[in-house]
Amino acid sequence: MAKKRKRTDAPAEAAGAEKPDDSASARPERTLFGFKDPASDAEPAASAGDGAAVAPFRNREKVLITCSRRITYRYRHLMQDVLSLLPHAKKDSKVESKQSKGSALNELLELRSCSSCLFFECRKQKDLYLWMVKSPGGPSVKFLVNAVHTMEELKLTGNHLKGSRPLLTFSTNFDEQPHWKLVKEMITQIFATPKDHRKAKPFHDHVFAFSIVDGHVWFRNYQISVPHNEIDKVDKGGLDKMTLIEVGPRFCLNPIKIFGGSFGGPTWYENPYYISPNQIRALEKRQKAGKYAKKVKAKVRRKMHEMENTLEPDEFAELWKGE
Amino acid sequence: MVAVANEEALAYDEDIMDDVEESDSEDDSGEEAQAKPSDKAIYNKEAILEKLEDIAWPKNVDWMHKLTIEHDQGEKIDVNDDLARELAFYTQALDGTRQAFEKLQSMKVRFLRPTDYYAEMVKTDAHMHKIKGRLLSEKKRIEEAEERRKARESRKKAKEVQAEKKKERAKQKKEQIESVKKWRKQRQQGGFTKGNDDVPDLNFEGEEGFKQSKKKRPGVSPGDRSGGLAKRGKEGKNRRARDSKFGHGGRKGLKKQNTAETTNDFRSFNQGG
Repeated sequence: MAKKRKRTDAPAEAAGAEKPDDSASARPERTLFGFKDPASDAEPAASAGDGAAVAPFRNREKVLITCSRRITYRYRHLMQDVLSLLPHAKKDSKVESKQSKGSALNELLELRSCSSCLFFECRKQKDLYLWMVKSPGGPSVKFLVNAVHTMEELKLTGNHLKGSRPLLTFSTNFDEQPHWKLVKEMITQIFATPKDHRKAKPFHDHVFAFSIVDGHVWFRNYQISVPHNEIDKVDKGGLDKMTLIEVGPRFCLNPIKIFGGSFGGPTWYENPYYISPNQIRALEKRQKAGKYAKKVKAKVRRKMHEMENTLEPDEFAELWKGE
Repeated sequence: MVAVANEEALAYDEDIMDDVEESDSEDDSGEEAQAKPSDKAIYNKEAILEKLEDIAWPKNVDWMHKLTIEHDQGEKIDVNDDLARELAFYTQALDGTRQAFEKLQSMKVRFLRPTDYYAEMVKTDAHMHKIKGRLLSEKKRIEEAEERRKARESRKKAKEVQAEKKKERAKQKKEQIESVKKWRKQRQQGGFTKGNDDVPDLNFEGEEGFKQSKKKRPGVSPGDRSGGLAKRGKEGKNRRARDSKFGHGGRKGLKKQNTAETTNDFRSFNQGG
């Protein structure tokens, strides 16, 4: 980048003033854009030296996508869909989901030289947790994934180029609280395809929608269909005719915890509203068990009632006995 | 002692019931927002913000790198109303895309896919074919249902028309008979003396009421009493075939009577002696 700037600067300076110094007599080096002035060459080189600190930003994000063992097919398909949406992602083999998985995953991240990770952890063949991790310094966010629909579903009729860079839309309530801000930044870094990535295609034909509703992050992916004849301009009034077609997948992320490190570290945030699916299931079970408890309760109550209000002995009980 | 134990059990049961009632408001999708938040949840805002500074991209980073758009959803969305929720997401995406496209247009970059640009898509052709098939079959199903509904309606209408016609015919017939009776009475009163001039105009040709509907048709065998109508019925092909072979209905006598040929036919006589 810096080199290119040097060259474009050169002719302007050369045309600006013919400096009567010693280097003027020597024939300047010829470049594609004209003659390169050695005197002016020294100056940008110096500026490039201190310009290195403000080198143009380049996004070198690499995302490792992997899942735990014994993941169900539905969640695996979701993972594959996410993988197909992120051309800058690498897939790795399944990881055993146990206590020491954090260190194993950190090692893996280093090995594959990835700067972030999406780890799909399936537990009890039912619950899917998603770890969103920045490596190596952290932080990491753990989500519970709900309402999963994969791209496979035939109701989602859209389609788009594989590897085209998505537009990311966020609802404004991401900026309200610090933890949402952090989540937004992480999502931006992980889900935005780096500019000029070698697998990325130079067109924009799909859009991701991330919005927070009811304390959950909802994800949608839409294809953009807009009338156009040229590649740098939409037809007149085309923006009003623009329609979106859903491509999928769909999922809903419920944040559980935010940790300071990658796959671990101090806990910085805990979702106060979070109830683990295990608890919910236990409650449901207890609700069913409540049926029997109710019966027992009613029986006991009846017994107590009978004991308290004993019937008076019937005075006519003996009436017909004698005959 | 027993009573005390019972009371304890009761108290325990009530606890359970309370828990259950709380959990009633929750469903599978994790509606735990209604539950009261736990108050010992950790929330270290400073550390989070610090980390955010740490990992964030530089502030002046070009928008082309991020491609992010914020959208205000307005009032709160009801999560359980699927339609409203999806609409909110859709409008967010649409609005965001419009803003982004305006930005991209003003930047004069090439960002729209040319029509002759073919490349690998996220969904394979086979999958898209399946989707198309499903759409088509759904469309077909709807059309068929529509057709069935229409046919049913038209049948209903036809039935009504038919009933109307029948009524009309019966009425006409009654009128005709009435008029004949009247004429007869008149003639009786007149002592059969008058000429034919006051014969009521019964035009037997034109009126439908007197027309013999079961008129014999050409090609119907003389033995068939139904005038060939029986053969038009709804019965199956086999029945018809067997009827034509062995006979059904009609006068038996005609078949058993001798004709000129049968009287002259002596083949069946015993000629031996």
